[in-house]
Amino acid sequence: MTELQDNWASRLRAGAIGVAVAAPLALGGAAFAQGYPSTEETLDWTIAFGPGGGNDIMARTIVDILNTYDLYPGDISVENRAGGSGAVGWGYLFGQAGSGYGISTTSGSFVTTPLQADTPWEPADFTPVALLATDDLVLVVNGSSDIQDIGQFIEYAQANPITIAGTGTVNVDFIVPTLFAQAAGFEFEYVSFNSMADQTTALLSDSVDAMVGNPGEILGLIDSGDLRPLVYSGSSTPDALGDVPTMGDVGHDIGVSMPRGLILPPDAPAEAQEWWIATMQEVVQTPEWAEYISSNTLTPTVLYGEEFRTFLTRTQNGFAEVLRSVGAID
Amino acid sequence: MDIFSDLVMGLSVAITPINLVYLLAGAMVGMVVGVIPGFGPSAGLAILLPVTFGMDPVGAIMMLAAIYYGAMYGGTITSILLNTPGESATVASTFDGFPLAKKGRAGPALVMQAVASFVGGTVGVILITILAPLFSQVSRSFGPPEYFLLAAMGMLTLIVMIGTNWKLGVVSALIGFALGTVGVDLETGQGRYTFGSAELIGGIYFIPIAIGLFGLGELFYAFYSGLHKTGSGGIIQIDKKARFWPDAQDFISTRWTMARHSVLGFVVGVIPGAGATIASLMAYSTERSLSKTPEKFGQGEMAGLVAPETANNAASSGAMIPLLTLGIPGSASTAVLLAAFMLWGLRPGPLFMEQNPELAWGLIASMYLGNMVLLAISVFAIPLFVQLIKVPYRILGPAVVVICTLGTFSVNASFVETYLMFAAGIVGFFMRLYGFSPAALVLALVLGPLAEEALRQTLTISRGSFGIFLERPASLWIIGVTVVLVLILPLLGRIGSKAGRAEKAGG
Repeated sequence: MTELQDNWASRLRAGAIGVAVAAPLALGGAAFAQGYPSTEETLDWTIAFGPGGGNDIMARTIVDILNTYDLYPGDISVENRAGGSGAVGWGYLFGQAGSGYGISTTSGSFVTTPLQADTPWEPADFTPVALLATDDLVLVVNGSSDIQDIGQFIEYAQANPITIAGTGTVNVDFIVPTLFAQAAGFEFEYVSFNSMADQTTALLSDSVDAMVGNPGEILGLIDSGDLRPLVYSGSSTPDALGDVPTMGDVGHDIGVSMPRGLILPPDAPAEAQEWWIATMQEVVQTPEWAEYISSNTLTPTVLYGEEFRTFLTRTQNGFAEVLRSVGAID
Repeated sequence: MDIFSDLVMGLSVAITPINLVYLLAGAMVGMVVGVIPGFGPSAGLAILLPVTFGMDPVGAIMMLAAIYYGAMYGGTITSILLNTPGESATVASTFDGFPLAKKGRAGPALVMQAVASFVGGTVGVILITILAPLFSQVSRSFGPPEYFLLAAMGMLTLIVMIGTNWKLGVVSALIGFALGTVGVDLETGQGRYTFGSAELIGGIYFIPIAIGLFGLGELFYAFYSGLHKTGSGGIIQIDKKARFWPDAQDFISTRWTMARHSVLGFVVGVIPGAGATIASLMAYSTERSLSKTPEKFGQGEMAGLVAPETANNAASSGAMIPLLTLGIPGSASTAVLLAAFMLWGLRPGPLFMEQNPELAWGLIASMYLGNMVLLAISVFAIPLFVQLIKVPYRILGPAVVVICTLGTFSVNASFVETYLMFAAGIVGFFMRLYGFSPAALVLALVLGPLAEEALRQTLTISRGSFGIFLERPASLWIIGVTVVLVLILPLLGRIGSKAGRAEKAGG
């Protein structure tokens, strides 16, 4: 059984490398003769996750904006290529190296999946277009808890053993409270869950003391008073959370977020990268984009081109360091 | 009566010609995705989600919800006819559904599953209507300790599955538990037996294994026993003398089965994360332990089919409670529904029903209609499905291989999972040949990771103390119910049947 699986894994890798070598040969040259973007070429838009998820919603929002404002002259074909926590979809984009007509949106797994599995690609391999927003987390306690604000929380955590729930371990959910606890000087046990739903149930049933989560998914419970938000990990608190302070406001800034951005295949032509940077500068100005940012409670953080690549490398190194220190990865 | 005015308001929103068309379309799509093995409601919902963007939210949500509960009707058809569960919640329906078909009772089995689904679904909606606020309290009293106890309760089903040849049964279950350890360790984040493959990070999904073991395994066994050489008919034969419709006895003997598993299924469905799969398994083992003739289970007992079928439909209604009252999805399918709510700019949570009464009650009202539509579709479609049995096996066999392959591949578009499905098919054939229990393997694969994660979360929270199970009221309730189900009820049953026999002998 184990031998068999090993075999498949190596065959898959061999396949991916084969595609990576073949693609530039097939796509190079002629395609860019008339300038970018050519209306002859269909833009192959890969979504590395299934429909309905965060990555899918972001990709479809951008495509909608491109269509509404006639920003992209040619046809766009959007396809969900889910599997292996993004490895399948981004592997497919990696295979289009050298092309300017493949594109994809990134999310947290873009940084974490290569840390966990032998993907043939690293985030920095791709041609960066722009970081458009970051996913940040809010620390919440049960609405019936005696803890009213983050100051009381830190005080309580320094005096008592506490548990904080989050989704997964090789994930920003684990990194954010770990770094925050180091900065604020308390210790906690991290309890890892499979989904936001599971961890929310655990907190509502008073099984854990606190949890971190994406505000968008728990706003309803925050509005009704069932959950009490204490602190936000992004650089500025979204309107929906009211006057909750950021970690920076309380003096314990951690500077880690999940990147939501746009990438092209590795070694995409410079003119394609420039065209997309210019176009995305228009996209982020639209009211539709503002609506997307606010309804998903994202932090609008915009970085273009090489700055985005630097951001990715820095985020991944930060993650790897924390995860290695707790033994989650080798 | 507040509830009735709400419900009438909901009906007035739901019953517009265009909404009824959406409802019908959703019910049909649900049936179809349910019938295709592996292609469950969550996949069907996710694919149709983008289609609904331009629609009115009430119609769209009615349609999506109909896909969701419609799949529970369709999923059983292949469980009964091909021993291949259409989706995870219908695994338990193969245990007695397929033996019933083998005995020539495919027609009655299909009709009874539709009736059981209707009863479970409708009782579930009635309970949502009158008890939604009460049950939202149930779903917020469950944490990791309770999930572990629930998973442990589900494992009692294993004892039932293992049956007479306990050594082979235990080995089968252990293989399942072992497969369940593959994937990233939730607590430490380390990969276990993933061999660096990104496809195995998420672990071995049990759908390809179930399709392979049950569907392909049965197929290979049929070829091994030379069925393809016979002119017509398959593994299951239609007994010309047996009637197509269920007889009065089928209804009478299962009336209490339907009643109790409507409630049981609903309650389990209300608990986020437990869902229809666990509900159907628990219903099966409870029904067997209550039965006066437990030895007939697995041999084609109608109650053994009706119990899980009622429960999985009731559970799919129950799962709407945490979604509507807390904004917490209880399953993969309700998570897609939640995504749909958010796409329309709705904010699910405790205030959702108050702020969007038209939508919430329109949805609930549409579920009454939807269940009626589905019962009608099922009953009319059954004669069509029964025609399948008349297809010569040499044609049906290859078609099953294609269906199983496509079904597995379509879930995650994963080649690794497709290979796993074929490997499981070969393993399933040998298990069948040598008397191992594929059902025990699949159950262990489903419940093992669930129990492991919940237990480790529990012990992290309690810092290693098992006392936590006795400190929480919800935990104590589950322990109490388990003890009653496992020890007291079978004991009472045995005393009762002894007394009955003594009476007869005396009289």
